[in-house]
Amino acid sequence: MTSTTRRFDQAGSMLDTSDVPEPPTRWRRRSRANAVAVRERRSILLVVPVVMLLIVGLGAMLSASSVVSIRETGDPLFYIKRQVLWVGLGLAAFVITTRVPYRFYERVAVPIYLLGVAGLAATLFLGDVRGGARRWIEVGPITLQPSEFAKLATVIVLAAILARKGPLLRKLGHFAVPVVTVVGSISVLLLLQPDFGTALLVAGTAFSVMVASTAPIGYLAGAATLGGLLAVGGTLAMDYRRARITGFLDPFADPLDTGHQAVQSLVALGTGSWFGVGLGASRARWSFLPNAHTDFIFAIIGEEIGFVGASLVIVLFAAFGFLGIRIALKAPDMFGRLLAVGIVGWLSLQALVNIGGVVGALPITGVPLPFVSSGGNAMLINLAAVGILVNIARAGTSRS
Amino acid sequence: MGRPQWRLQDARVVVLGVVMILAWAGIGYRLFQVQGADAAMLSQRGFDQRVRHEEILPKRGTIYDRDGIELAVTIYGSSLVADPALIDDPAGAAAVIGPLIGANIADVAVKLESEGRYVPLARQLEHAEEEVLATAIEEAGLDGFTFVEEPVRIYPSGTLAAPVVGLTRLDDGAGIEGIEAIMDGALAGRPGSRIVERDAAGRAIPQGELLIEPAIPGSDVILTLDREIQHTSELALGAAIEEGALGGSVIVMDPSSGKILAMVSLPSFDPNDRSALDPATLRNRAVADVYEPGSTLKVVAVAGALELGIVGPTTMIETPHEITIGNEVFEDHSELPGAMTVADVVAKSSNVGTIEIQRRLGNERHYAFLDAFGLGRPASIDFNPEAAGRLDHYSAWCYSTCGASAAIGYGIGATPLQMAGVYATIANDGEWVEPHVVAEIIGPDGERVVSEPRRRHVVSAETAGLIRQMLLGVVEGGTGRRARIDGFSVGGKTGTSVKFDVEEGVYSEDETIAWFVGIAPIDDPAIVIVVVLDAPTGLLDDGTELKFGGASAAPVFAEIAESVLHQLGVTPDKD
Repeated sequence: MTSTTRRFDQAGSMLDTSDVPEPPTRWRRRSRANAVAVRERRSILLVVPVVMLLIVGLGAMLSASSVVSIRETGDPLFYIKRQVLWVGLGLAAFVITTRVPYRFYERVAVPIYLLGVAGLAATLFLGDVRGGARRWIEVGPITLQPSEFAKLATVIVLAAILARKGPLLRKLGHFAVPVVTVVGSISVLLLLQPDFGTALLVAGTAFSVMVASTAPIGYLAGAATLGGLLAVGGTLAMDYRRARITGFLDPFADPLDTGHQAVQSLVALGTGSWFGVGLGASRARWSFLPNAHTDFIFAIIGEEIGFVGASLVIVLFAAFGFLGIRIALKAPDMFGRLLAVGIVGWLSLQALVNIGGVVGALPITGVPLPFVSSGGNAMLINLAAVGILVNIARAGTSRS
Repeated sequence: MGRPQWRLQDARVVVLGVVMILAWAGIGYRLFQVQGADAAMLSQRGFDQRVRHEEILPKRGTIYDRDGIELAVTIYGSSLVADPALIDDPAGAAAVIGPLIGANIADVAVKLESEGRYVPLARQLEHAEEEVLATAIEEAGLDGFTFVEEPVRIYPSGTLAAPVVGLTRLDDGAGIEGIEAIMDGALAGRPGSRIVERDAAGRAIPQGELLIEPAIPGSDVILTLDREIQHTSELALGAAIEEGALGGSVIVMDPSSGKILAMVSLPSFDPNDRSALDPATLRNRAVADVYEPGSTLKVVAVAGALELGIVGPTTMIETPHEITIGNEVFEDHSELPGAMTVADVVAKSSNVGTIEIQRRLGNERHYAFLDAFGLGRPASIDFNPEAAGRLDHYSAWCYSTCGASAAIGYGIGATPLQMAGVYATIANDGEWVEPHVVAEIIGPDGERVVSEPRRRHVVSAETAGLIRQMLLGVVEGGTGRRARIDGFSVGGKTGTSVKFDVEEGVYSEDETIAWFVGIAPIDDPAIVIVVVLDAPTGLLDDGTELKFGGASAAPVFAEIAESVLHQLGVTPDKD
């Protein structure tokens, strides 16, 4: 369902191309036929790395979750069965969002944002405490994780606001008030769970949307400085976060406690070396590496299929980012561009932070790897977000 | 769309993309470092944390009696091991585990809080005990506990022959007492090894490589002991000690083969109950205790004199009540005729007469016979430790007193086992046969090694026969009357030596070592029995003091001999 109408929401918007002179007729005819093909190819290309990551993820999870599955439930396939179900639901969501015109989200941006805030707030009152944090709500057999939806909601509402503001963004009030309100409300609710990693991720994602917007560079620098100070302060405020930093700087100094996950993760990767120990042969999953099927799934991939396979995962994420940015560049309007940048920025940043933590390049933050880690809510929302990107790609211009 | 602002906006998105790609490149480079340059160090670390080179303990050999009844056997049990690093709530876990292993909850909690990662909590668990513990651990949802298979040594016959069979050490299963110790090399077997991958909780990883060099099980040891005879002997000696004695020992031996059918040392111990173990009871008195043999040793001087033709059985010997040699006075205990035949000297156990016979034999030749009969050196290779006894070379003997003392069994130290060897030589027509308790060793491959006891000619069959007739006289009409039994002709010798207090270095005023060494049937001997009682006290009905061998040790001999001769199916030689 490709949108052929070029609609520009803002009178006087920088995106208004109505004054661009029409190209010569001959060229335009060719380009019309060409344009559809290019847009289709671009949207299909984006799907390729995502599907490959889904396949790698299910394969890695089959191995990584088997030990914890059998010890917790007696069924070695318990987690993988659930994951397959969620991938199915996620693909259904993907198909739906590819068909919903992305401009629909601009109209419902505020209700979506309020829904995200309500979900996070409900978590604080109704949520189950697991591992010291209140992140999940049990609804019958399903566990809801509102923070996953909140990430997408933040991207949608910021894209809508910043696109609509247009030139008004030059005024500090028009920039700072909505940004601080949205990012601040979501982050504070996440910090109350507490989920510091996701709060940082939301802030980083929001910053990528601001960079792509028309806000002046000076405001961006201010936002980055303020966000950076808050992040550093927040890190130093809590003992367990400080421990993650010391565990990151020198994991081998305390390999049984603060450095435990980092050391076990590196050991798994090192054991895999160039070609891996073979599918299903991971040793780290035998209670050495905590969260092997969730936050540390990349370590299992690196152990089982080696640098060859793990670097392929990195290439797939980089390709996803590259293609996503290209979709953003060719989006037909400012909202589409900011929405695409937000989605690509969010998923790429989350993948970078996750893999960066696993390989020891960044501190461990406890965010899952998109498309790969176990976790139903994330899978559903991630695939729905990719569907939105596809929809933007199909609506994009054929400008080359 | 070529307006500058548009290009500026594009540039900002492009910068985002470039930053992203650079970040991925950085992460990729870091991955390259970890999986390339650092891989060897990291995978070694992983190898070290999960791969264990483990020793497989071999199954220790079984110790059997001569009929194949198990005296010591190894079964597989387990020990409960904790990994404190994995235990979140030591106090709660201790409350679950403590009562089940019979330990104080606080003590268990201290162990669970310790630094190590391998803390054994309970050893030598049998299967039923392990199951109870495993169920409780499962139900309480405790982490950090594992069961490690371990061999458990059990003694199915309990206290029976415990000082002979011995004990193993709990830590490593090595034999530390008795046959378990002396035959440890054969029983222990050879450990094997395996390489096992274990998870962080110490559980074996199913797909972990498992290179196994199997353990070679230990050899089985078959003893010469006969469970029935052993049991009979323990009951008889035990009853005598109950009457009033510090302890005692019994040896029942087949004189022609040297096989020991029973060996008793009391008080004894229960090898299955280590908590109640008294180290003093571990000693096998039959081989470890050295006493002055007293009158039982008189046969050596007499046999020597007979063998060399210095006296005959009917040679008359002057026997005044007392004689003075050097500055020592030797006297006889009871009123005896002034002169007796050599046979009567033995039968009446005349000290004076025996000293006269020894005088005619001379110290050098007397020493040669003492040595040939096996005094002064361990009799067997089957015991650990076996005392050598005490026999000084004759050149070191004092001019005349020492020879006189030696003749009547003073100044010489002998173990009950050595005395069994002396009397077995007489029973076996003058040939000394090494007394032994290990009959056969059966290797794991079924190969059998049968003990070949050493043999040595000491005196002629004729001399041995003459001595046996004199010993018959001792029992028929001399000091050993209480050793008589129905249906069999018995020969033997009583002995009573004043107990030497090792700590004080002086002879005791009233405590004695009471001996009886006997042979039955006397013409075709089937058994030699040594009975020793340590400091017996009390009186018989007729007023005889039990401190004399004839009063306390001889009846024990009679009780054992009568029963054993029937058990062995020996044909009675007397109405």
